[in-house]
Amino acid sequence: MSKINKSKEEFGHINRHYWEWPIASYLFLGGCGGGAMFLASILAFFVFPGGAQSALVQGALAWPIFLSIVFLALGCVLLVGELGQPLVFIRAFVKSTSVIAWGARLLTVAMIFAVIWFASFIPWDWFLPVANFLVPFREFCLALAGIAGIGVVLYTGIMLSSLKAHSFWATPALPILFTISALSTACALIALSFGWWPMDPVFYTVNESNANDFFTAWRVYGNAEAGLLYTAYHVMNEALHLLHTLDVILVACEVVVLLVMVLSFLGAGNKCANAVAHKWVHGGKWAFGFWFGMIFAGLLLPEAMYVFWSETAASTVVAPVLVLCGGLLLRFMIVYSDERAPLPGEKIYYGRLVSYKADFLHKWKYGENLF
Amino acid sequence: MAEIDIHAPGVEMVKSLCYFCHANCGVLAYVKDGDVIKIEGDPNYTNQGGLCCRGTSALKHVNHPARVNHVLKRAGEKGEGKWIQMDYDEAIKEVADRLNQIKAESGAEAVASAGGTTRTDDWARRRWLNQFGTPNGFHNALLCWIPTFMAETCVSGWSPFETDLGGAKSLILWGMNPGASTLPGMHGYTDLQLAGLKIIVVDPRYSETASKADLWLPLRPGSDAALALAMLNAIMYGGMCDYDYIDAWCSGYDELMEHIAPYTPEWASEITWLEPDLIRQAAAMYATNRPGCIQWGCTWDQIGRASTTGSHAIALLRAVTGNIEVPGGDGMPGPALNFLTDEEMEANETLPEEQKAKQISRFKLTSWPGYTLISDTAKRQWGKTLPTEWFCEAHGPSVFKAIITGDPYQVRALICNATNPVNSYGDAKMVLEALKKVEFLVTVDYWITPTALLSDYVFPAAGALERPIIVTHYGATDSLMGGRRAIQPKYDRHDDYMFWKKLGLACGQDPEMWPWENIEEAYWDIIEPLGLPIESYDEFVDNVRMYYPPLHQKKFEGHGGFWTPSGKIELNSTIMQELGFPGMPTYIGTIENPIDTPELAEEYPFVLTTGGGFMPYHHSEHFNMPGIRFIYPQPFFSIHPDTAEKLGIAYGDWCWIETRRGRIKMRANVEPEVDPRVIFCPRGWWFPERDGSADLNNPFGCLESNVNTLTSVDAEHCDPMGGSWANRGLLCKVYKCTDIDHEFTADDAQWSIPGSVSEPGVTVMPSDQPLAREPIPFEKPQPTKDVPEGYYWVWQDDGIYNKESHFKLDDSGWLIDPKNKAYIDAYTGWRYDAAAECLVDDATGQQYTMDREPITYVAGVRTYPGQAAPYEVPSTLTWDTELGYARLGDNMYIYDPNSGWMIDPETNVYHDANYGYAYDPTAQNLIDMATGKRYSMSYEPIDENPTAEQGSAAEPSAEAQVEAAEAAEEE
Amino acid sequence: MTRYCMVIDQRRCIGCHSCSVACRVWNDVPEDLIYNPVLSTGVEGEWPNVHRNWLPTLCMHCEKPACVPQCPTGASQQDADGTVWIEYDKCMACKVCVNACPYGMRDQSKLQPRLHQFIRKCTFCRDKRKMDPDAQPYCVATCHQKARIFGDLDDPNSEVSKLINSVETVRLLEDLNTGPQIYYIPALGGTR
Repeated sequence: MSKINKSKEEFGHINRHYWEWPIASYLFLGGCGGGAMFLASILAFFVFPGGAQSALVQGALAWPIFLSIVFLALGCVLLVGELGQPLVFIRAFVKSTSVIAWGARLLTVAMIFAVIWFASFIPWDWFLPVANFLVPFREFCLALAGIAGIGVVLYTGIMLSSLKAHSFWATPALPILFTISALSTACALIALSFGWWPMDPVFYTVNESNANDFFTAWRVYGNAEAGLLYTAYHVMNEALHLLHTLDVILVACEVVVLLVMVLSFLGAGNKCANAVAHKWVHGGKWAFGFWFGMIFAGLLLPEAMYVFWSETAASTVVAPVLVLCGGLLLRFMIVYSDERAPLPGEKIYYGRLVSYKADFLHKWKYGENLF
Repeated sequence: MAEIDIHAPGVEMVKSLCYFCHANCGVLAYVKDGDVIKIEGDPNYTNQGGLCCRGTSALKHVNHPARVNHVLKRAGEKGEGKWIQMDYDEAIKEVADRLNQIKAESGAEAVASAGGTTRTDDWARRRWLNQFGTPNGFHNALLCWIPTFMAETCVSGWSPFETDLGGAKSLILWGMNPGASTLPGMHGYTDLQLAGLKIIVVDPRYSETASKADLWLPLRPGSDAALALAMLNAIMYGGMCDYDYIDAWCSGYDELMEHIAPYTPEWASEITWLEPDLIRQAAAMYATNRPGCIQWGCTWDQIGRASTTGSHAIALLRAVTGNIEVPGGDGMPGPALNFLTDEEMEANETLPEEQKAKQISRFKLTSWPGYTLISDTAKRQWGKTLPTEWFCEAHGPSVFKAIITGDPYQVRALICNATNPVNSYGDAKMVLEALKKVEFLVTVDYWITPTALLSDYVFPAAGALERPIIVTHYGATDSLMGGRRAIQPKYDRHDDYMFWKKLGLACGQDPEMWPWENIEEAYWDIIEPLGLPIESYDEFVDNVRMYYPPLHQKKFEGHGGFWTPSGKIELNSTIMQELGFPGMPTYIGTIENPIDTPELAEEYPFVLTTGGGFMPYHHSEHFNMPGIRFIYPQPFFSIHPDTAEKLGIAYGDWCWIETRRGRIKMRANVEPEVDPRVIFCPRGWWFPERDGSADLNNPFGCLESNVNTLTSVDAEHCDPMGGSWANRGLLCKVYKCTDIDHEFTADDAQWSIPGSVSEPGVTVMPSDQPLAREPIPFEKPQPTKDVPEGYYWVWQDDGIYNKESHFKLDDSGWLIDPKNKAYIDAYTGWRYDAAAECLVDDATGQQYTMDREPITYVAGVRTYPGQAAPYEVPSTLTWDTELGYARLGDNMYIYDPNSGWMIDPETNVYHDANYGYAYDPTAQNLIDMATGKRYSMSYEPIDENPTAEQGSAAEPSAEAQVEAAEAAEEE
Repeated sequence: MTRYCMVIDQRRCIGCHSCSVACRVWNDVPEDLIYNPVLSTGVEGEWPNVHRNWLPTLCMHCEKPACVPQCPTGASQQDADGTVWIEYDKCMACKVCVNACPYGMRDQSKLQPRLHQFIRKCTFCRDKRKMDPDAQPYCVATCHQKARIFGDLDDPNSEVSKLINSVETVRLLEDLNTGPQIYYIPALGGTR
């Protein structure tokens, strides 16, 4: 009461943002994690097909896959924690054909098979029997995880765009944007963590310093293994290069799609989407987030780093991290742009209401008698 | 909460009434195991099943955790909020002892009582006050209808407040917003408007009602009197009067014509901001669309100095257009002649004359001097009168000032019943000071209001569903509506009657004066004279519920005139003159305006209007009902966008609104709801969710957003006739709260007499303040004829009236009862019954001969003791002079000359006049009771078969005869 | 067949909020929610030539609701008579339906216990009608102005059918193709 001159927006709006940071984070984590599984399967099956090579790449992908499992799991925790009645969660798997229900199923499938796949790489002695048992199922698991992963990627965007109440979401550009962004963040994630996991003593020793030196390897491991090592080095290098290249393309696409989406809303579209776009392009905090945060720091800067500073820390570490941050910012800005075309007088109405925290809603409890 | 099944076994439906505003909508309460489980609007009542926010929340109200459920006695310092719960009767005893002590030390008048809206049993309070001996009961009556009622009664003999809209062609809703105050009324207006009724709305704000109007007059707030005078001028000088009606029923037309001449629409235009043509258009719309109605609106009584002038002028508008008491016009119900009025329940005769003279009020129209004149007239004309409660009260603000200053005398105790004066009376900070200062404060309320917080004792009150309710519109109408209590009061809550009765008995008042065990019994006494075939109040509600006398328009034709002293509609009121007021409305400006006080207008450029009812609240109530508060959680004042822009105010900004007397803060509602020069503030705001004791300069925030902090109750700012103070048309300024200036502090509302923050404290004693208009000397004519002892002469109609009964002494020497035009014996007060050619004492039902001898009856047959037989006595009978009737032999049967039968006075059994045989109506024959032998109607013996069956059949036959006779007697 | 709908006569509504309060009292709506807000843009126009209307709202019980197909648990459902409602036990409060509704007629109370914050909305007083098939929703029964009229659109003799067929009515956000079943009789000023 003693606070003065709050603007209309600050007052009222009982729960007008229904989805908040956990959902935004979840959308990012889901997209990134699902995308990484998808890309991993593509790398293993199509880019480097064939036994040894594929096995090599799969081994190098264990750590990225592990991270995507963590991402998805964290996303699920956030999602379930955000639920108003979390215990009912299980119904989502059995009762509906809605987009979210499919999302939940795909998410689960992706996680289960990714976990099985990952388990086959665990090198702990006591676990080896299990790991060895699982090895024959690797391809099958990775394929399913990859398919479900792209499903998760697509679902995040499709789900939002199917909510036609929010005209800024209800555009086909949004699932495209989300998919591109998810894949680009997935690229970044894989690129950051490719080949870190110690699956095999042989690969364990592969690193830039000794792999370059064939003779050192030969001395240490003998001829045959040295050849394999040499191959591994080149395969991995190629894969990393490929990931960076892919990210360059994806980021470029993302810039285009994002600008097309926002600027087309700015030019035409309905009032509500127009207003949001206006906010993104011209409106203070939001415009800073959009132009500096997303376009510059999240897309153009890493793009430049990939292109102009390749083979340096800028392109191997900083650029992917920036891409990941940009992706997260995009989810936040999209989720918080949940403006709905108000009914006549709706803004005034909710502007007059107080929040659920108002004193008079908590002062008295029915059933008690004070006097 | 699962859905409640009202058809479940054990659920009883009780017809109750809502009690959260004056509309008193019908409520059906579903009761199970002594608790209400559900309510709904009564579809067969005025509200047609509708219930507003307040009504529908009744259960939330009954069970609200902050309701006062037990007597609370103050434990700590005043206002500290520390209480001890007490036994009800013990607390009553303590309060009574203290009041008696104050009475013994300072006189009964040192005890005053403030009341709330008509939602208490006001007659019970007045009954207590009268017996206690204090004249200082008051309400916010002066802001609500009473001055208007009195002015209208001076003009036409009663207030013409019952609009007959069904037959009306035009309707003025003047200063009234039924769209936010009386929803059942609004429903009717909307229906009629869709059917063609023209509705003119007079309101400075584009209110809910104005949004539906055919013609809307957005006048300057507080200029209603000028508008009324100008409309009167336009009608009279436009030749739009109903001249036949004026010729037949009105007096003083020429005087009024002359008097009203200066009040042209052009004159009013400057004051009201309305174009003269618009005023003429409105006047013409009303005057030419006859019959038409003008609905009373609270504003009439809230514009301060010109309040009564305005309503007086409006009363004349109705009169000159012939709209009073005609079909389709404004009907005057008059007092209830068929049941007991509130006045008859008030025991006014117990208040001594010398105590009446001590009433704290300088405003004669609404206190004992004016009331006496008006009431005596009503008694002469109607035969009954207005209640003193509401219509004859102390001046509330003057009582508060008396508490602070001891002028005219120290008021030491105050009983607040269903009111929170800080929020509802003018000059809130002065009222707050008075409540802090008063020696002994007792409150009867639902809640711990700011007033209750400062009290020594708080008594719990029974609410809407916990008490029966009779609606008689302040006791001023002849119809009646009733509702039952759905449940007994919960906890230690008591209805008002029980509170006053217990307090009365504890104060030592005569138990005979409080004869009713409970309020239902009292209500039954009120309605019993209706003569309905029912035996209790609850039965009345169940079967009748609403009592309306037969349609009674044009009663003045039967009455032979209007109910004023002269018998005419007095366009130049003699009662007003007698009281020292102008007999015709004479303009007086609002206290603050650019014409009379230009220097003020410079500093305070905007016109403030306050006090209008607004949904979802009623007065200062319901701020503590979360479900209702959520709809409108914070105070918003209305300001025009242009003005707001100039002042840099945006929608939702917290702003200060300041008058000479203090400042309050509200949030800005920027919309063209008001004129760019006008600020509209809703009333009543306080914040019950706060800790009241935290700041006793502003307990529960009762000053910081309360428009009454801005109003003035100085004597010279009040209406010199009725005493109303202004809620409309004050001058104010508005500015945004800033970062360093947004906390409400004690300095923002310093109390002062007279009201002005520049000089806190008492600078002028209330009695030393002049009135807005000095009384105009009036000399009453001397009697033109001899007035017998026990009678008085009325100068207006040259009539002589009995002092006690106020019946007119006819030239024939009889008194005439105005209620039924019956002739009354001047010596005994007995009514002359022309059909029976006798006198009747209506109090006992005893008949008397024209020689005033009692007439006796035996078994329903009139007897003539000591006289010769007045009829032919059959030869078989003898006339008993001593007993005064004809007898058969030695038995005690009475001869009934009308039927020719004898009647046994003990059993009421009929016997034949020849032999004394009893008549058996079942077998339709005669029976000799001595022998049991039966005879036909022509005395032929009937063969009796000595069978057991027939023998036994004879016995019940005789019993049946007795029963039949008893039944006949009952009929 | 029965197809429930509501006609709202803006010519009669005076914005008293009785419907909102009746609804929350009898449907036990948490204090921070309102199922049927009475909206108003306030007074509009150039003083003194101004106008003002009220827009009482509630769930539109659409023919093709945007919310129901989005529900991942099947808690949101539509009866054969058109009533859209939520089976609270089945709702996990993912809020997708809240975001799906173009009218903003679904909401979640923050005053409820943390694990029972399911989504709530108007059900045309489904529980009341189940108990008494002739009953009117609380907002309709309590309306003094009789501005809300409830009935069966498939019954040609019902008041709603007659009104919809004889008076020009409009619906909110018709272009979204949800087929809202709340019909408004617009006010043009005054009661016209």
